[in-house]
Amino acid sequence: MSDNHGSSVISARVRHVEALLEARGLLDAGEIDTRIDEFLAGGTPANGARIVARAWVDAGFTDRLLADANAAIREVGLSMAGGLQEQRLKVVANTAEGHNVVVCTLCSCYPIALLGPSPSWYKSEAYRSRVVRDPRGVLAEFGLQLPAGTSIAVWDASAESRYLVLPRRPEGTPGLTEEALAGLVTRKGLIGTAAV
Amino acid sequence: MAGFPAVIEEPDEPPFSADWEAHVFALNGALIKRGVYNLDEFRDAQERLPVQQFLAASYYERWFAAISTLLAEKGVADAAELELPDEH
Amino acid sequence: MSTDRVSTDRVSADRFTPGARVRTRSTDPAGHTRLPRYARGAVGVLVELAGRHPLADDRARGATGEAQPVWHVRFAAADLFGTGDHTVTVELWQDYLTPVEDA
Repeated sequence: MSDNHGSSVISARVRHVEALLEARGLLDAGEIDTRIDEFLAGGTPANGARIVARAWVDAGFTDRLLADANAAIREVGLSMAGGLQEQRLKVVANTAEGHNVVVCTLCSCYPIALLGPSPSWYKSEAYRSRVVRDPRGVLAEFGLQLPAGTSIAVWDASAESRYLVLPRRPEGTPGLTEEALAGLVTRKGLIGTAAV
Repeated sequence: MAGFPAVIEEPDEPPFSADWEAHVFALNGALIKRGVYNLDEFRDAQERLPVQQFLAASYYERWFAAISTLLAEKGVADAAELELPDEH
Repeated sequence: MSTDRVSTDRVSADRFTPGARVRTRSTDPAGHTRLPRYARGAVGVLVELAGRHPLADDRARGATGEAQPVWHVRFAAADLFGTGDHTVTVELWQDYLTPVEDA
């Protein structure tokens, strides 16, 4: 992390390059701020949570989600089209026998159009290197102890697909509304480093 | 690579830890959208950073270094123009 | 698939079908590639076709080629790292893969 001096230098460099590009017609005035605002107003883990909650209450939706997530998420008013290009969304469901966890070992690919920015730990060399080699150990560091009989599938977002984990519905939630169920789902659950 | 320590999780972290990071994020999107370079060229430019620089730089510092590399390679500006005036 | 971006007329044929065993390329490429080092020279099983896209390696040089199949390939951790009981599924361009004859 840069110290204050380092931050002010790079901040000045970035502004300098933006001004240069604006002068050369490669950036419009206000374009950067607009892009930032749109990004921050767009994706959020609450989107993923809505998808999960719908899947928990509707088995037909779950089937459609697992078969073609790009189409299915439109049923809850969501889309993968908000980024540079529409990417294929692959939803992977946790079961009693198998747990899923997602990583991008090559860089930090993540469904930002849907979920917003990825957490720093997801981008870290430590996570990206270790979770493919020792997922059980990494999950334990996150406080997730899986039963020995549960197999783990790691998904490496190395090409064009982006992944979302569909956690298992927690026990003791039969009466909850879809909205309340969505409130149980965390960003870590959608990546696979938490049970839900 | 082996030998990494435990994964560190920051609770409630903001999407960008400084305003310039948000600017770098948006700048990359704007330049790709305009076709100055594509996403694969951007990833490749990061991978081509000198290893010392790569390891010492933070996530968005690497992004900005890659953007600067590509702007120079694509002939948008030369390296001197991309630097701050008092860095000459 | 609704999100396929397929260049008209010139699309590489599928060389494989789901369930096929494949070996990944071992060579150290000169430039950008999307085959992770840990998955080089490894044998895995094709799970599903994940789309068709021009090769990232070409796009990184500013040269976009034909769209080709991209596959989800599942590897056993023991085959990748010599240890572990998990699987790793990686999304790989067809050019990174060669078929494995069953012994």
